[in-house]
Amino acid sequence: MSEVDQLLSKRPADRYIKGVQLGEGTYGVVNKAIDSKTGQVVAIKKIRLGAQKEGVNFTALREIKLLKELKDPNIIELIDAFPHKDNLHLVFEFMESDLEAVIRDRNIVLSPGDVKSFIQMTLKGLAFCHKKWVLHRDMKPNNLLIGADGQLKLADFGLARLFGSPGRKFTHQVFARWYRAPELLFGTKQYGSAVDVWAAACIFAELLLRRPFLQGSSDIDQLGKIFAAFGTPKTAQWPDMLYLPDYVEYQFVPAPPLRSLFPMASDDCLDLLSKMFTYDPNVRITAEQALEHRYFSSVPAPTKPAQLPRPPLKGDKLSDGNQQKEGPTVMSPARKRLKAQRDGLSMVDDHVHDRQTTGGNTGKSETIPMSVDFSAFGSRPPPRPTLNSADRSHLKRKLDLDF
Amino acid sequence: MAANFWTSSHWKQLLEQEEVDVVHSPDKERGLTVEEFKYIKMHMANYIWKLAQLVKVRQRVVATAVAYMRRVYTRKSMTEYDPRLVAPSCLYLASKAEESTVQARLLVFYIKKQYSDEKYRFEIKDILEMEMKILEALDYYLVVYHPYRPLSQLLQDAGMTDMTHLSWGLVNDTYKMDLVLIYPPYMIALACIYIASVLKDKDTTAWFEELRADMNVVKNISMEILDFYDNHKILPEDRTNAIFNKISKS
Repeated sequence: MSEVDQLLSKRPADRYIKGVQLGEGTYGVVNKAIDSKTGQVVAIKKIRLGAQKEGVNFTALREIKLLKELKDPNIIELIDAFPHKDNLHLVFEFMESDLEAVIRDRNIVLSPGDVKSFIQMTLKGLAFCHKKWVLHRDMKPNNLLIGADGQLKLADFGLARLFGSPGRKFTHQVFARWYRAPELLFGTKQYGSAVDVWAAACIFAELLLRRPFLQGSSDIDQLGKIFAAFGTPKTAQWPDMLYLPDYVEYQFVPAPPLRSLFPMASDDCLDLLSKMFTYDPNVRITAEQALEHRYFSSVPAPTKPAQLPRPPLKGDKLSDGNQQKEGPTVMSPARKRLKAQRDGLSMVDDHVHDRQTTGGNTGKSETIPMSVDFSAFGSRPPPRPTLNSADRSHLKRKLDLDF
Repeated sequence: MAANFWTSSHWKQLLEQEEVDVVHSPDKERGLTVEEFKYIKMHMANYIWKLAQLVKVRQRVVATAVAYMRRVYTRKSMTEYDPRLVAPSCLYLASKAEESTVQARLLVFYIKKQYSDEKYRFEIKDILEMEMKILEALDYYLVVYHPYRPLSQLLQDAGMTDMTHLSWGLVNDTYKMDLVLIYPPYMIALACIYIASVLKDKDTTAWFEELRADMNVVKNISMEILDFYDNHKILPEDRTNAIFNKISKS
């Protein structure tokens, strides 16, 4: 072993050459870096130790625990972990983009084969989790990362957990609202992998529509949106519904034909979609079964990952000093950064359409403050709700005390 | 669950007895014998058990904590990693990993309340520092499988749920040994059922045959457990202290 190697192996932190900041996650900063040993580009999450009070962050620990067991082409790889200066650092494979960026990019056209490929990779990752008895519980386009080779990978396992023993009670405050299954919205505490399948169905629909499918503004409204799309469930369809903790009766609305919601989708596509959107979680298709569905064997074939359309990369060279101006690479869960970038893009649009803006302060500055409210422009869909802080703290309490 | 275990990191990390019974060089230099090494691990398993009763955590958390502690000492010396700090830190980490967090200050409070011995006393920051070192020593592998779930399933299958109490107690005692590092949990469960059935004079030959489990392994584990019951003893406090003095930094 050479002297250099010895030095490197002594301090794992020195092995990685730190690059630009990619974003700020729920529990720390994410930086791009290069592994000096292998030359591999990685993303390093620094886990802040909350003022030395309760040690390693609970969410981070959960992610470490599960990702160490989950090695699959469609699940983000936790390459390494090391402590440095009292902080824990997690080394992930570097991912170029995420599915939300793909869906939102208006310059990208998604062919039926592309959609099939994206949802197939999503279901493959999910099926692997479920096989290992892991519930993801936070499936949404923003948590599906896309690598340079086009592979889609499930990320952000901070809410995930093992669901080995049947009948174990969990909190229902999981998932961003638009991706929450009806049984969760009715307050069930005993649920299984079907909740992830519902969320995957929402992502499937979002790929087809190029906008979030069921955009509820509250939990009650979310159920309303679901029922408006698929009809109010009848007891025959979902016998257990009446016994769920937060069940309330909704006015009956009939289901419009699914075809009317997705006019461009093939019959196979609609059939799979309807099976993933089945009300009764016990009847809902599993991720494993969904992958066997004829949708995936019929033409067109799923596009090869390397040939999938990708959003343009914006100055993400490690040495690029213009990073600040051009906007950082999208990196989940860097919600705020991502939003800033999106707003930036839309704003360019608005200039093209020569809209009247009120302040006139947007013309000159290149860097766009991320907290500015652009809703006045009116062209944007409402912001996606993630778990709000009340949900988070509720969740944390439940998870910490329930067992 | 079994299919799940065979692809787990736990399965891949199982060791041979000879690999587990290695006294690391800093400890060896201080004259620690294999027997003493084993004794301290048992002593600390009991300590974790007592602490867990005070802070009231699930059985599973205790079992995971003991498994962490035993894994740590397959890689680290007791001289460098003081067992009296490693034990509560493992309980702390296990409580988080098993989703029933215990606050570090609560642990510190109970240790101070119950143990007058200065050598057992640590501050919150010591536990948090050790937590990080344990994570590193475990190479961040935190999922541990235990014999408890297969035990209930197997007893149900055999129609011998009346033996739950006895075999459950046997499983608890296996954590005083290194079995969790060496054998798959369902094999340990089978061995405990085997011992219980022999003790209770139940004929389980047909059932074991039908299972097609490797009876050699089951019997080996059973022998180890019985040997343990025959030979283990709690040493008087001064003897225990003498062993600890060997590995204490002074």
